[in-house]
Amino acid sequence: MAEVGAAAEHGDSMWINMGPQHPMTHGLWNLKVRVDGEIVVEALPEIGYLHRGVEKISEVREFHKVIALTDRLCYVSSITWSHAYCLAVEELMGVTDQIPPRARYLRVISNELQRVASHLMWLAAYGPDLGILTGLLWALRDRELFLDLIQAMTGMRMNQNYPRPGGVRNDIPATFERDCTKVVKHFMGKLDEYEDLLGSNKTFHMRTKGVGVISPEEGTEWGVTGPNLRASGVACDLRKLDPYDAYDELSFEQALDKDGDSFARYAVRMEEMRTSCDLVLQALKKLPKGPYRMKAPRRAEGEAYRRTEDSRGEALFYVCGDGSDRPYRVKIRSPIFCTMSAVPTIMRGERVADVISIMGSLDVCVGEMDK
Amino acid sequence: MSDHLIDLYPLCQGLIAFVNDLVGRIMNAVAGGIEGIGIAPPGAGQPLRDQAALMNSPWVIGLIAWLVAIQVMILWGTAINLLVMMWMERKFYSRLQDRVGIKIGLTSMDFLARIPILGGLFTNFVKRPSHLGTGFLQNVADGVKMVQKENLTPAKADAFTFHAAPVLIASSTLLIFAALPFSDGFTIMQSPNPFGILFILAAFSLAPIGILIAGWSSNNKYTLIGGMRSTAMLMSYEIPMILSLIAVVVLMGTLDPFEIVHRQAQPISASISQLSFLGSAGADGAIYFPNWNIFTAFPAFLVFAIAILAEQERIPFDLPEAEAELVEGWLTEYSGMRFGLVFGFKWLRGLAGSGLLVILFLGGWTGPHITLPLPGLSLAFPFQELWFMVKVYLVFMAYVWISWSFPRIRIDQILNIGWKVLIPIALLAIFLSIALRAFGVYQ
Amino acid sequence: MEWDLVAFIAFSTLELVAAVLVVTSKRLVHSVFWLAVTLATIGGIYVLLRAEFIGLVQIIVYAGAVPILFLFGIMLTRRKIMEEPHEAE
Repeated sequence: MAEVGAAAEHGDSMWINMGPQHPMTHGLWNLKVRVDGEIVVEALPEIGYLHRGVEKISEVREFHKVIALTDRLCYVSSITWSHAYCLAVEELMGVTDQIPPRARYLRVISNELQRVASHLMWLAAYGPDLGILTGLLWALRDRELFLDLIQAMTGMRMNQNYPRPGGVRNDIPATFERDCTKVVKHFMGKLDEYEDLLGSNKTFHMRTKGVGVISPEEGTEWGVTGPNLRASGVACDLRKLDPYDAYDELSFEQALDKDGDSFARYAVRMEEMRTSCDLVLQALKKLPKGPYRMKAPRRAEGEAYRRTEDSRGEALFYVCGDGSDRPYRVKIRSPIFCTMSAVPTIMRGERVADVISIMGSLDVCVGEMDK
Repeated sequence: MSDHLIDLYPLCQGLIAFVNDLVGRIMNAVAGGIEGIGIAPPGAGQPLRDQAALMNSPWVIGLIAWLVAIQVMILWGTAINLLVMMWMERKFYSRLQDRVGIKIGLTSMDFLARIPILGGLFTNFVKRPSHLGTGFLQNVADGVKMVQKENLTPAKADAFTFHAAPVLIASSTLLIFAALPFSDGFTIMQSPNPFGILFILAAFSLAPIGILIAGWSSNNKYTLIGGMRSTAMLMSYEIPMILSLIAVVVLMGTLDPFEIVHRQAQPISASISQLSFLGSAGADGAIYFPNWNIFTAFPAFLVFAIAILAEQERIPFDLPEAEAELVEGWLTEYSGMRFGLVFGFKWLRGLAGSGLLVILFLGGWTGPHITLPLPGLSLAFPFQELWFMVKVYLVFMAYVWISWSFPRIRIDQILNIGWKVLIPIALLAIFLSIALRAFGVYQ
Repeated sequence: MEWDLVAFIAFSTLELVAAVLVVTSKRLVHSVFWLAVTLATIGGIYVLLRAEFIGLVQIIVYAGAVPILFLFGIMLTRRKIMEEPHEAE
């Protein structure tokens, strides 16, 4: 009501700034919404607060040294980003079919473990957005188990510097299979607890059903990918459509939902966590013996691109080499950057109180958005 | 035989009478002394004697006794119960979140370990000092931290209302304790109190205006939104609260909390004679099915419980203070002890709300008890205060459990529930009570 | 000493002062606040007249709800009740 009063004084607009310093925007970006009463009339995201010039810096570093930068693109899901870069570089160098099979499977395992950790981080942030602070602690508690596994595998919990052009950096320890199986099986039981806390919670339904609906046509037009689009019913999992590494040798179903609202995005991500656990167990069983890395050439010339299914959608790297040992150009397509262009369309017509719920359900990671 | 431990006013009166008598005797002795020694002219001690007589006059003793009684009640509410409830809540929801919770307690204090001989009890300080205690002192530490913070006032805030609003909220919360009885004797407004429940309601209903003014005066459009939402929510939920209360009052026939509790102490067969198979009042100490209103007016209980949850501004009705969107809502610009006062009094409103629920629906301070034959006095165990506090804490823990397991409901959904769901159920409860009374089922 | 008279004078003075402040306050929200004080003291006078029920109902209905209704009503009109931070420069 005061907004209407103030709006009349100022003409016809009242812009509310959500951010850049805001407890719940998960990263540094600003969303300006123009409201008419409680309804959002216009939304204008302002991004770039976290732009570090990754694409430019990678032009002055050798191919394998860029991995330290791509790790930090989305720091919550770092292995998947470095993995995408390594795949693009291997295409450029023409060594894609020389990657040892063990390396392929190890990449699958590390990717899926990282995907679960990333989705748990999303859950830990989404619960408090809506008011369930218990969700934060439960999700982080379970994420610790996966970070311990990733640390056993790669040596670090975050920004691991693990994939390499040609394979991975190191092999798994001897006890890894036993530990990983134990943790994954324990976690799949925990997923039922999340179902009790959130999925079947009537209040959670009230806050998320019917909120922030993205229709499949809208989503595809604006370039939304990943779980956000699969929640609208479009089968766009790149692990199925354009398989890489060992994904074509493993069997899984992509998680789809047809409602396209925040609850559907939640359900798709929970299902993806289950699928990832399943994939890890399968990959561990089928893990072949052999070398975990091949020596990739130092120099490369030409251009190549590769897209992968990152935790948040389609991550595409376009790498261009000019014969030296540094890339000439690295172009990064990040899924959240494209989703952000769809945000004004999604937000129009929603209530201001739902803005945080929608932004939380889209799983915004500012690191990859701003590069 | 006394069922309750503390008769507040007679106790204070006795104490003050004793103290004043002592002081009066000393004054009389001094007066006699200075007259007897002869350093003063005769009659010089008369003012002292008059003063002693004044101090022992009934109205002075009465006045001081009332002030002391009020202080005791305020301290009981804020110093003891507030800390205990905050501690219980923090430990409980920490366990819900799979962690241990606060742990600063007496065993975490360094200076205690250095006491000779007794310091042995606290010697573990050298190992992990902050991880040892029960956590009770954490809230004290938080309070002290808030007291020593700077009280900031935003530059363009309206100074008068900015400073007046927390006073209004805090004082209206404390006013509830004037009429809320903790047992037959531990109360300020003593029995019979024909309008006790109405007084408590009046004190509850003074809070929203304080919140609205607090939200407006901070000169911040977010706190204004938060204040308006909070006020809208509180006012919407007062109506089902009062309506469900009417349902209970129709059954009980009185607004007197003491009467209401005594009627609930009787067996249910005394009110509804068809249910005499559920036991009747027999010998002292017999267990029978009590006449609690939670059984005879169950819809009213549900409505009242949800309305009190909204009045306490707890999650799930937390949107006015939603951290996700408005940082602290209408409280954002308050710092230091002003914030601490209002924030801490949220728990006092929780205590008052749970207390009201227990009095109205759960039989108050009555329950099965045995009489302990102590020498000199016969005390019932569990005595009334104990029963009351146990019930209140159980209700409070149930509220904490609900709070920390649910997301926040959106403001329009909150208002939807308040107006479109709770009011019809409350009206239904009233009709039920009227029907029970009108058809003679309930006497 | 007739305490009734003392209490009545105290309440009435407070009420009259608050009523005057309602009309003369420069800011609308102050007027609302003083209105709440006026209505609450009228409730107090009712209690003095041994009509406790109506006194308490006066506080619940009037002091508790009516000023808030006034404030919401004011906000529905277009009168500016709050300075925006950027306007004062």
